[in-house]
Amino acid sequence: MNQNTVIRRMGRRETHSSRSAPSTVTALLLFAAVLWLLLETALSFTGNPPLLLAPAELIQHAAVLGTATLPEALLAAGAASALLGILALGAAIMPGHKPRHVIENPRSAVVVERGVLASAIARTARTTSRLAPEQVTASVGHKGVEVRIHPTSGMAVDPVAVREAVESDVAGYSLARHLKVNVAVAPHAAVGL
Amino acid sequence: MNSTRRGLNRALLAVLGLILIGAGILAVQAGSSRELAQGWTRTGTDLWARIQDQLAAARIPGQDTSWWTLAAAGLLVVAAILLVCWIAAQGGGRTNQLATREDAAGTTTVATDVAGQAIKAALAGNKQVLASTVQAWQLKAGSGLRITIQARAGASPRDLVAALDELIRGLDALLGEEIPVLIRIKAGTRSRFARTERVA
Repeated sequence: MNQNTVIRRMGRRETHSSRSAPSTVTALLLFAAVLWLLLETALSFTGNPPLLLAPAELIQHAAVLGTATLPEALLAAGAASALLGILALGAAIMPGHKPRHVIENPRSAVVVERGVLASAIARTARTTSRLAPEQVTASVGHKGVEVRIHPTSGMAVDPVAVREAVESDVAGYSLARHLKVNVAVAPHAAVGL
Repeated sequence: MNSTRRGLNRALLAVLGLILIGAGILAVQAGSSRELAQGWTRTGTDLWARIQDQLAAARIPGQDTSWWTLAAAGLLVVAAILLVCWIAAQGGGRTNQLATREDAAGTTTVATDVAGQAIKAALAGNKQVLASTVQAWQLKAGSGLRITIQARAGASPRDLVAALDELIRGLDALLGEEIPVLIRIKAGTRSRFARTERVA
């Protein structure tokens, strides 16, 4: 593998979920079920009374489940099972983005959390508009940046200037994914900030 | 960067999801249609009767059980082992050897701590970095290094990356080869409570 492939692969793995938590939970549940079945088989093999249900009885119950159970119970159990199935399938298919962005770099794979980007952007926005830290908040999503400004009463804030400053700053980070910048200035200015 | 088999995780979850959805649809249909429920019981009873015939035909001499039951128990043991393997395949791959080279004089090993100490010392003077951790992982070709740094609130990612680039150039010169490096810049509780640096 050449270096570029390794870097891209590391960046991708670091920004997507490995699905190890749902896998571990699923495997543990299945493992418990298999152990229980083994125990029941061993108990019936040695002629001991079953823990909950002997294997033969279990199969017998499953065979007549369609008519032996209330239709409402079947409906509810079926819906629950389908819902769990949809969740598992969703975990398998959905990308599972982590709140991180990849920074293009020729030597290393660089991954930065959204929170770090947001605080850097908020700082740029507030130094351009000369406001206090509490008056500017920024949040970074998968596709864009949202900057919210609460101006001081009587002092106008130019959203275009802030946007340009933030855009040039973000362009300097050389992020792999282009982020759209959106600046919102609150319509009601505050006094005493 | 760890050696979790992500494709395997997703494939197994997908198979399980499809099975659960199939079972759910069957149960819902049996619950809503009397006919299908009766069909289920009829087929199930027939199948169970046939299985019992098979079991009786393959009885273990002198025992009350059949070879089929023993085979089913064996399958369950195999399934349990495979499930343990699935759990064990999560994570792992951490190593404390960053690089090894063999030549006529012997084997030279560089411990991860060497890089860790060097990076920590180099970042100690950087006001924008609150903390750093260094770990090495076993990759397909040799080891890879993961550097995690906790940034001060408001620190510019560009400056941080420039500082780390400089540092990694030094590391490359120190080791004499370019090993794969992953840099993770994160925020955390310390970023939230530490003061912002006033002069950037």
